[in-house]
Amino acid sequence: MKINSLLIANRGEIAIRVIQTAKLMGIETWVIKTSKEPNALYLSAADKVIDFTDHAEDIPEFLDIEKIVSAVKEHNISAVHPGYGFLAESPVFAQRCEDENIIFIGPSPEAILKMGNKTIAKQLARKHKVPLLEGSLGDVKDPQEAREIARKIGYPVILKAASGGGGRGMRIVENDGELEKMFKMASSEAAKAFNDPAVFVEKYVRNPRHIEFQIFGDKQGNIIHLGERECSVQRKHQKLIEESPSAALDKALREKMGLAAINIAKSVNYYSAGTVEFLLDSDNKFYFMEMNTRIQVEHPVTEMVTGLDLIELQIRVAQDEPLPLKQKDVQCNGWAFEFRINAEDVQAGFSPSLGTIEKMSLPRSKNIRIDSGIQEGAVITPYFDSMIAKLIIHGENREKAILYSANALKKLWIKGLKTTIPFCKAVLNNSSFKKGKYDTSFLQSEMKIHYFQDKDAEMLAAFFATYDFARSLKEDEDKTVDFDKGKNITPWILNKRLKSR
Amino acid sequence: MRYTSEKALKDVFIACGEGKRKFEIVNPLDENVKIKGKKMDIRVFEDPDGFSYLIWKNHKYQVDILEKNQNKYTVIINGVWYYFSIETPISYKRRKFLIKSEVSSKTERIVAPMPGKILDILVEENTEIKQGEAVLILEAMKMQNEILANITGKVKKIYVRQNDSVMKDDILIEIEKF
Amino acid sequence: MDINGRNFIKFQDRLNKYDLQNSPEAAEKQHSKGKLLAWERIQILFDEGTFEEIDAFVTPASIEKGFGRMTHTFGDGVIIGHGKISGRLAFAYAQDFNVMGGSLGAVHAAKIMKIQNMALKMGAPIIGLIDSGGARIQEGVASLAGYAGIFYRNVQSSGVIPQISVIMGPAAGGAVYSPSITDFVFMTNKTSHMFVTGPNVVKEVLNQDVSFEDLGGAEVHARKSGVANMIYEDEENTLLGVRKLLSYLPSNNLENSPFVSLAEVQRDTDEKLREVVPDDTNKPYDVKDVINLIFDKGSFYEISELYAQNIVIGLGRLDGKTIGIVANQPKVLAGTLDINSSMKAARFVRFCDSFNIPLLALEDVPGFLPGIDQEHSGIIRHGAKLLYAFADATVPRITIILRKSYGGAYCVMNSKNLGGDFNFAWPTAEIAVMGPEGAVAILYRKELSESEDPAKLRKDLAAKYRSEIANPYIADEKGFIDEVIDPSITRKKLISAYEALENKHVSVPSRKHGNIPL
Repeated sequence: MKINSLLIANRGEIAIRVIQTAKLMGIETWVIKTSKEPNALYLSAADKVIDFTDHAEDIPEFLDIEKIVSAVKEHNISAVHPGYGFLAESPVFAQRCEDENIIFIGPSPEAILKMGNKTIAKQLARKHKVPLLEGSLGDVKDPQEAREIARKIGYPVILKAASGGGGRGMRIVENDGELEKMFKMASSEAAKAFNDPAVFVEKYVRNPRHIEFQIFGDKQGNIIHLGERECSVQRKHQKLIEESPSAALDKALREKMGLAAINIAKSVNYYSAGTVEFLLDSDNKFYFMEMNTRIQVEHPVTEMVTGLDLIELQIRVAQDEPLPLKQKDVQCNGWAFEFRINAEDVQAGFSPSLGTIEKMSLPRSKNIRIDSGIQEGAVITPYFDSMIAKLIIHGENREKAILYSANALKKLWIKGLKTTIPFCKAVLNNSSFKKGKYDTSFLQSEMKIHYFQDKDAEMLAAFFATYDFARSLKEDEDKTVDFDKGKNITPWILNKRLKSR
Repeated sequence: MRYTSEKALKDVFIACGEGKRKFEIVNPLDENVKIKGKKMDIRVFEDPDGFSYLIWKNHKYQVDILEKNQNKYTVIINGVWYYFSIETPISYKRRKFLIKSEVSSKTERIVAPMPGKILDILVEENTEIKQGEAVLILEAMKMQNEILANITGKVKKIYVRQNDSVMKDDILIEIEKF
Repeated sequence: MDINGRNFIKFQDRLNKYDLQNSPEAAEKQHSKGKLLAWERIQILFDEGTFEEIDAFVTPASIEKGFGRMTHTFGDGVIIGHGKISGRLAFAYAQDFNVMGGSLGAVHAAKIMKIQNMALKMGAPIIGLIDSGGARIQEGVASLAGYAGIFYRNVQSSGVIPQISVIMGPAAGGAVYSPSITDFVFMTNKTSHMFVTGPNVVKEVLNQDVSFEDLGGAEVHARKSGVANMIYEDEENTLLGVRKLLSYLPSNNLENSPFVSLAEVQRDTDEKLREVVPDDTNKPYDVKDVINLIFDKGSFYEISELYAQNIVIGLGRLDGKTIGIVANQPKVLAGTLDINSSMKAARFVRFCDSFNIPLLALEDVPGFLPGIDQEHSGIIRHGAKLLYAFADATVPRITIILRKSYGGAYCVMNSKNLGGDFNFAWPTAEIAVMGPEGAVAILYRKELSESEDPAKLRKDLAAKYRSEIANPYIADEKGFIDEVIDPSITRKKLISAYEALENKHVSVPSRKHGNIPL
């Protein structure tokens, strides 16, 4: 079935990214306008705009399945691309599309549903002999049970809140002796934070690397992988810098992990783009974590090294076309980095920096790609995430890619708020990072200062502040106040003023 | 004139940074400004695109004033921010005096660093907390931000409740120093 | 006169003695407390070399029965005189804490009254630099009489010449009332204090411990009590702030404001104005962004910035001419009017009206702040002050409705029938008796109670109300709005409107004075 028109049920840079490819393929593009950002850049990139500014429901526009489906039907649009986030991994939405004969650009609802459930995903991995983090099958009721499991899988283990996230209700246990105390702490913390004291036990991998494989499948049953991405530069599980390939993998390991990733995907007859996430420990043992059934924020690094357009492949697969290439055709050339430029204050613990992008100056070159959903004058609001742009750099090898990245970051100027640019510079200057020897503990253990400071920058800042202060004093002083003009009053008004007092 | 008096606000300024960091700057508007007694050839440019930059020793530094309130500045240079208050010789003396006499303030206030919603309050009144400990969680930009105690002490008063919306600089919690 | 003769030596001798009062040692005494000498303050306040001192050599009144000792110094602890500020005549007095703690005795008071009289006769602004321990106990009732005399002159001068008080040290007891009568109060943070009864008395009477700073510091008066209009971190900037404020004001109530030409050409239209007010009616924005885009670049001078922040008041220039601005601030308390904001704005409107400064109201107000506390504290009485002030003002008055304009608050904010000269609205304006949710609940009470899905019905009706009733076009068609304008041309529109109103005069019924609900 050919796709003629496409609604991108998303915003920001990913909406623009999808529009770019769709336009090249001759597809009419539609987007949704919300009252939260009625002047956003993605609106002007699309062919047609659907107005949701009168949206008054409690659920946000991009999550309102019924409203989106009826808009698609009303305008006779043939397909929907969900981007990432929002409805990208909603099996309900994918199913609704299928029921209404709308092409959902992504995997099948079943695949989303199964991979979205951690327990099912783990069972599938176990069935296909993909190594994973062993642990309790569900909640653990008391410390005794936890101890038994811990002894079986071996210390260290981690206790996690069943309904939690974000580090609260998490405790790492090193040995038998600590277990009872830690169990109680984790449980009470979980109860306090999430109103649910349930916890489960899992094998704990100390300071792992975060390696993920981009896989791609078609509806004819072909599944290939497009190499890995290394996403170990993280802060509180937020990825900040990604690269492809990873310096930690050799050919043999890549093949082994790639095969595991394909097997996972095969277990749910996967088609479209997907990402299989692994933890890799210091002994090069890897563990399956989860599978993301969508296009990822960091997909451009894979595109840069493989030369493929993943969005195009997604659309072709959705049109029932077979994949145009086999595993042996996949060529990875050179090295690519992605830097997430966020509106965050690195000097204040990465807290959001709200404000207006007054000016932006972007570096341009054939090995630089910038994906951004923001133009000058855009306001960074609390409603959406803080990403301003993704800076993607390609080089012939890792050293060159690092060098090009440093140059590009120097030329990337953003005025009006605080950004993560100094952080990216600091990472590039770190010797462990340069050697490719880093893991998810990198930010805490390897970086004493999270931002790059030019020598003498403080002095120059002091100078500039003083310069501006002195200049405004001088301006006030030089200003001529014309008092005589105030004394020049027509007799008409002066007489009346005199009389009325 | 019978009187002589140090004319204030002439050409000598002291930019005071965080902690005890300071820079004495003479004739900031001159071509050859003096910083900490040394002549420096720093030039200020404003390009037509609206960026300001400094040129010093053949290097270009992007510079921007992020916040400015009377004599208090937050300046960004190549993405890194610095805080300064610009003092004159007289006000610098005054500043030193005030810092010295500021032992009297016993309480510290934690204010909202950005507008948002209070998701959770992690402490209660009269509990003892350590510097750096999270006291509440403020949601802004779809992110949960832990607000940390700025001093060690006892929670004196909590000004907000769960689910309250707060503006930037609203007082959240008052901590009494030990 | 013989330059070596006896007469001249005595003359010189006196000068030398007076100089000693401002010796480096005396200066150091003040400097070490983070303060400046009275004389140094005067130097900063006035244009270089223009200040002329009067009565420098008076000595304190003699006391008959000595209770405590008095030092005999020249000037009796206060400097008075005149000079130029930005080239214009101004009068000032500056109390000298180094002389008997700046305490106010009979001679000291007489000097202040003398300069007050001169300022009023000459129709020129007067600035008081206050740094005084209070009444001079040794002189008893004479010093109290002095205070009363100063207050009387403050009141006589009110609305005739601009009066500014700058608190640069303690101001306790009776001394606080002179500043409170004057038009503007400046305070220097951390080294100035104002209170009627000090911490010691509070401790004695109520057994409460409170520091000077927490009882009557600059921060307290700027944020909580609203007594201080401006607060600065050091004395130099405080005094420069006074100079800046004066550049907006006329010398007296017969003159118009001074004119400051633009540093560079400013466009009359600005497309950015179209984007300031968000489409989402519940989303806050900063009204100061609107002000800065309309007025001459960098000319907005905010007054009482930290007090009752739900209303913004200040002076700005439009094509060089001073305009007084009263604007609801949607960013704080959704811009509602409450007791504090009503009083803050009312006094400012009165000031502008006294000194022929045209007014501009920027309106985005959902109504008065509801609540038991507000009602019991008399929001009716205090809200009426703002209403009275606007209705009573005879200067040119323009209102622009930016967004919400609901109910009584619509009337209060300089509406057309309150005597506003021009009333413009932006297309984002919503003018109605009440907001959609409230109106629907009253109008469709029956339908809502009978509905199966009241929440949905309420939402639908509110949307209908918003599109049909809550817009500027009904008011425009009925003539309550003069014009609905494109936000980008606001500046242009205002310049021509104020030009048309330049020679406005209203004949008011002859009366002693109205009875404002104080």
